[in-house]
Amino acid sequence: MSLAADRGAAVARPADVADAAAAPFAYVGIVTRAIAFAVDAAVIQIVAIAVAGTFALILSVVSVGDDLKTVLVAAGGVAYGLWLVGYFVVFWTASGQTPGNRLLEIRVCRAADGAPPAPGAAVLRFAGLILAALPLFLGFLPILTDDRRRGVHDMLAGTVVVVVPPAPPDRKR
Amino acid sequence: MRTPAESVLRTGGSIGAAVMRPVARRVNGAAVATLDAVLDSRLAGDVVERVAASPLVTRALRGALEGPLVEALARDLVRYQVADRLLSEGLVEQTTQRVLEGAELERVVDAALASPTVERLIASAIESRLLDETVARLLDSDDLWLLVEEIARSPAVTDAIGRQSAGFADQVADGVRARSRSADAWVEQRARRMLRRRPAPPPGSGTP
Repeated sequence: MSLAADRGAAVARPADVADAAAAPFAYVGIVTRAIAFAVDAAVIQIVAIAVAGTFALILSVVSVGDDLKTVLVAAGGVAYGLWLVGYFVVFWTASGQTPGNRLLEIRVCRAADGAPPAPGAAVLRFAGLILAALPLFLGFLPILTDDRRRGVHDMLAGTVVVVVPPAPPDRKR
Repeated sequence: MRTPAESVLRTGGSIGAAVMRPVARRVNGAAVATLDAVLDSRLAGDVVERVAASPLVTRALRGALEGPLVEALARDLVRYQVADRLLSEGLVEQTTQRVLEGAELERVVDAALASPTVERLIASAIESRLLDETVARLLDSDDLWLLVEEIARSPAVTDAIGRQSAGFADQVADGVRARSRSADAWVEQRARRMLRRRPAPPPGSGTP
């Protein structure tokens, strides 16, 4: 299937994209991005719940003082935050694809050259994601109107989300 | 030391033998030719047929089969290792090969399979209680379930199940991707109309 013919995606011709240097590629819309984000949220929460549950079970049989419990809860909160930020930052900078993105065959890349975002840009993008969600998700509305389907967080970090060209059949598995 | 009488007798015998030898040879040749002519004659054929069809031969054969002849024949077959000799000479292999390679066996099998009798036999075998009992005993057998378990655990089967599951997951993911991209376009179109924005640029017209 030609990406240019994909009716669900606005198509542009980037200046220099490693995977599809000459081929036009498609920007990804809000529904696909929401589904990918939901998959990622599920992965994050399943892992977090499993880890938190394990620690809760351990603490239920080991008697610790209230002060230590407070410290452990605070440490857990910090660990959760780090896990949340680290999950996105690592995946975006490594390949531009979180597991949810991989499932939907999309990836985050720099608008300038199509490469995965740098760590700083990835952290900025995550912060922008939070900011975009805070005012009743209004920060995501530009995805519907922008020609490159960028949200506030994309504009802040200088990124776009594009469809990954399908791999040739012999390389797919 | 020979006596004169013995010498005379020996000499006479030699002369007699020399004279009689050609005569005996001719008599033998004539006898064989006569026997061949008799065997080739129609009369001999008729005689043999009549003898073979006669009740006497039937009774004789029946008597022979009822008597100790069969046991004696079987004992001799064992004693002289007839079966071993036949097997060692490869006669059985040759015969089997000839039967298997020949078109006759195929014709016979085809005819047998096409015959209503075989069809009836198979139908009656399937409907018989014996088959039900066999299946029931098979299902009760621990060995069967052991075999099923072994097959289910075999790499070939697990690989096939894995491939099937992966194929199904791929199909689901493909469906989700296609529908989500259609939904992208639909939502964007509605939003742009509501906000009175121009429609999205056509594919391939934009630049990053």
